[in-house]
Parts: sequence; structure tokens; C-alpha cells
Amino acid sequence: MFEKLVNIICNYVEVEAGDIHPESRFMEDLGFTSFDFMSMLGEIEDEFDVEVEQTEAVNIRTVQEAVDYLGKLVSEE
Amino acid sequence: MLCSNIREILINTEKKYGSEDAVRYKKSKNEIEAKTYTQLKEDSESFSCLLKALGEQGKHIAVIGMTSYPWLVTYFGTVNSGSVIVPLDVNLPAEDVCDLIARSDSTVLVYDEVRKDVAAIAKERCPQLKTVISMQQQEHDGQIYSFWKLLEEHKGSFDFTPEPEQLCTIMFTSGTTGKSKGVMLTHRNVAENATCLDMKIPERIVVLSVLPIHHAYCLSMDILKGMSLGAVVCINDSLMRVAKNIKLFKPEMILMVPLMIETMAKKLEEASLLPAKIVKNQVFGKQFHTICSGGAYLDPSYIDLFKKYDITIQQGYGMTECSPVISTSQRWNIRKDSVGQLMPNCEAKTVDGELWVKGSSVMQGYYKMPEETKETLEDGWLKTGDLGYVDEDGFVYLTGRKKNLIITKNGENVSPEELENALSANRLVGEVLVREKNGVIEAEIYPDQDYVKKKRVKDVKAALQEVIDTYNTGAAPQKKIYSLVVRDTEFEKTTTRKIKRF
Repeated sequence: MFEKLVNIICNYVEVEAGDIHPESRFMEDLGFTSFDFMSMLGEIEDEFDVEVEQTEAVNIRTVQEAVDYLGKLVSEE
Repeated sequence: MLCSNIREILINTEKKYGSEDAVRYKKSKNEIEAKTYTQLKEDSESFSCLLKALGEQGKHIAVIGMTSYPWLVTYFGTVNSGSVIVPLDVNLPAEDVCDLIARSDSTVLVYDEVRKDVAAIAKERCPQLKTVISMQQQEHDGQIYSFWKLLEEHKGSFDFTPEPEQLCTIMFTSGTTGKSKGVMLTHRNVAENATCLDMKIPERIVVLSVLPIHHAYCLSMDILKGMSLGAVVCINDSLMRVAKNIKLFKPEMILMVPLMIETMAKKLEEASLLPAKIVKNQVFGKQFHTICSGGAYLDPSYIDLFKKYDITIQQGYGMTECSPVISTSQRWNIRKDSVGQLMPNCEAKTVDGELWVKGSSVMQGYYKMPEETKETLEDGWLKTGDLGYVDEDGFVYLTGRKKNLIITKNGENVSPEELENALSANRLVGEVLVREKNGVIEAEIYPDQDYVKKKRVKDVKAALQEVIDTYNTGAAPQKKIYSLVVRDTEFEKTTTRKIKRF
């Protein structure tokens, strides 16, 4: 899941896949804007066939947190 | 056609396109539901009837929620009955929302269930608030009315023509004083802003509305301008799903803030090896042709980039205090470095480098803030706070901002003083300066040295980061601080001991 997410992340910011770590923060470290982040959540919905809850998703700050949240969603499906 | 009250806009279009779709929105994941112009007119008149029945006609009606059909019915039903709409930011913390309900003297609150937290405390916090209406609740229940049930009970037509000079909106904007100000706009202010310029936009155009509805830009352009042209206004349900909703609703035009344009540009460039036409059709669809940009500064290079994909970016400039559009570019007359030509109902002059504007869209003042009004309006001229000038052809050029106000890339106004005050409340924070840097809000802090020693704080940076994290938890999204700089020395001060900003 981490690798899949990294691939999606690379579509939004100019960061090499190797430079993306679980503890990387989307905005501060990877240079995401808030709208980049929202758009990525939309892409994640399609890619993983899940429904993201916007109010919960806005609290995600790091890649690991995103992986954990996604894991939860996928297991609920 | 120039309209001087908002009711005219809806009535004229309903006469022409009554049975055509006015609003389209998602009913479920891939299913679209629509309401016609006749339905919108009738439902909004029923809303006017219910305000009258409740004894609230002419009063101030607060509304909070995402863009939705009930929101629009509330809007038209309120203003077209001579009442005053108070649109509130759906992302504000409940306490702040209640403060605005109280300060605007609203007697009715119409809310989307996403903000049931507001409804739960509003009556207690706002003594003048009499009626609370839920947009989704099916039945009346104790203290809370059902929107749909009320409409049904008060179904009827409502014949009332508001005067052009009648107040119709109090719209809150944040200011440098840290306290948000309620911009008072009349029917003429708003209706003429939306209808005085012929932008040669084809009638019945399909637009996708993605901006927050409490913003003057969205309300004036997407809704009022759109509806004056008999447009189909499609509602985007979440910023997460703009790309998906473009495919679903197939819009021809979208109003965006620069932040969104930047993300869309990445989407286009990601597939830059393919022919431009194919990429454009994949991302925006064949039918799409125009993006209107406003709310904040757009790097002009995006205009060229989108041109490659046969998409025109029309840039505009404005502020809530001017209902809001001051200037806009026309597709046949774009000058890249300019934010477009002055609106026909607007004149401008430059005073000490600052742009002042005058005309039928300039606000009446800030609600119950005579001092702030006096500072901003002078003999009918509105001081924009922007540094700039207008050339002989009426093109507006901006060179900077006079005020300290931070305009984030999505067009939100953030007052640095407000954030500084919040952080200063912590003893560890000695001096603080908040500013915008590389698109995010940054706080530079000089820790209180005595406190550091007294409490034997070892890792000052970590402790300050914790202060920021705590602040961020309760802050509205646009006010969150994403960067921290810790200083070793005090800030340079002015003679009056104020921190020098620049």
C-alpha cells in the first residue's frame, strides 16, 4: 500500500519516490498545497475503491497516517 | 441585461427558461438530480412565505452549509422577501460561527447537518436567535424546524419587489484588526455587479461550482451571473472530487482560485507526452473551454500553459467590499500582467499608490463598525488596500498589498495579528510574527528566555512546535500554521516598540 501511495504522491509533487518516507509530512516536507491534498484523496478513492471521509482525512499529516487510514478503510470494505 | 435587484435576475430567467435545469447535484455516487428554474423560483417564494409567517420578513437570516439546493432556496427566499442573508463559512469553529450570528443580529439560522454542532449551541449563545431550521431533518423536532416541512406548510407565491437600495447581504470578511467585519451590500450592489458586464458567455452554459458558497466571488459569479444567463449550475460535492465531478457533470466553465489552477496544471502536464488535445479531453472533457480565476494572485504563466490546451483563463480582481468584482479580463482582450479591465459600473483612481474605486457595487459600510467604515470609505470611494493603477484603456495593474493581510492561495484572508495574539497567550512565546511564506503560513517566534530558564525547557523548538500543534487543532483550515522559525535574538522594533514587519 505504501508503494502504491508513493506512486500517487509523485503525481502531485516534484519529489523522487525514494525521498518519500513514512514520516514525511505532506505539506511541510513534500510541498503539497491543501488542494493538491484534496485532489489526491479523490484519486485514492478511485484507486482503492473506498469512500474517504473528508472530516477525518483533513487530520492526516504524514504518509504513514495516510497508509494507516487507508488500511482501515480497505479493511472496512 | 442590467438588473438592479436580485429578484429580477431569477424572475427574468424563469420566464425564459422555466422548465430547464437551474441546478444539478449528486443524489448518490453517480446519480444526478436536477431542479428547474421554476422549481427554484417556487421553492424560494415558499421560503419567503415562511419567513413572513414566522414574523421574520425583513430580518437577518444566517445560513451555514456546503453549496446545496436548500442553501440556494434559502438565499433567494431571504433576499427576495426584503430580508438580509448572512452567509457563514462552513469551516469556522462553532464558537466563531455563534459570534458572527450574534454580531449580525440574525434571528433565524438555517443550517446543514454537517454543522449540527453549531445548531446545538447557537440558541444558548445568541439570545436574539429565535428560529433554527435544519436543511435535512424530515420532521419538526422540539427546538428545530425541518426546512422541507416548513416549505410544504407555507407553499405559495410571494409577490414582493425589493428596492435597489435595500440591504440584502451581510458578508463577513476578516480584516487586519483581527475581528472579522460584516460587509453590508444592497440589492443594487450585488445585482449590478453580476449583470453590468456582457462577457459574451453563451446562455445555458454549464458551470461547475467548486468554490465555497459563502464567498462573494462564488455567489456573484457562479450563482447570480450564471443564473442571469440561464446557466446550469452543477454543484461540486467535495474538493476531493473535482476531477471526478468534471467527468460526471461535463461543465464548460469553472470558477477557480489560483491554488486549484496550479493543481489542475500539474494534472495536465503529468501527461505532457500525449497530444494536448487528448490530454485536455481526458482531464476536462471536450466541451470545456474557460476557467475564471479570482480570489488571489495568479502567476500569469498559467495563462499560456492553459492556452496550449485550448482553455482560456479569464482573470478577475475584486473584494467583498465591492460585491466583489472590480475588474475582469475578457477572452478577446487579455493582457497577461493585468487583472483585467474595470467593470463598467466602476471608476478608479490612485491615491498615494493605493487603488481607490467608486461605483454602484461599493458596499454601504461594515455592519455596526463605524470606525472601520470611516477608515475604508471616503466620499463614496473604497480604499482597496492594494497598491496599483489603471491604464488609459481601463486595465488594472496591481503592484502589492498595502495591508499586512495574508491572502492564502485559495483566496482566504487571514489576519496575522489574530494568529499572533492566539500564540502569544502561551507563556513560552515571547515575541511572534506571523506571515505567509511559499504559500503556507509561517510563525517566527522568539521564546521567552525567563520562562525557558524557569521551567528548564531543554528542547525549545519541540516545545514551541507543541504550542503550534495545539493552536492548529482548534484553528480553521486557512489559519493553520505549517512552518515554524525559532529566533535567537529579539525582533527589530519600531520606536513605538512594535515589531517591524518588513
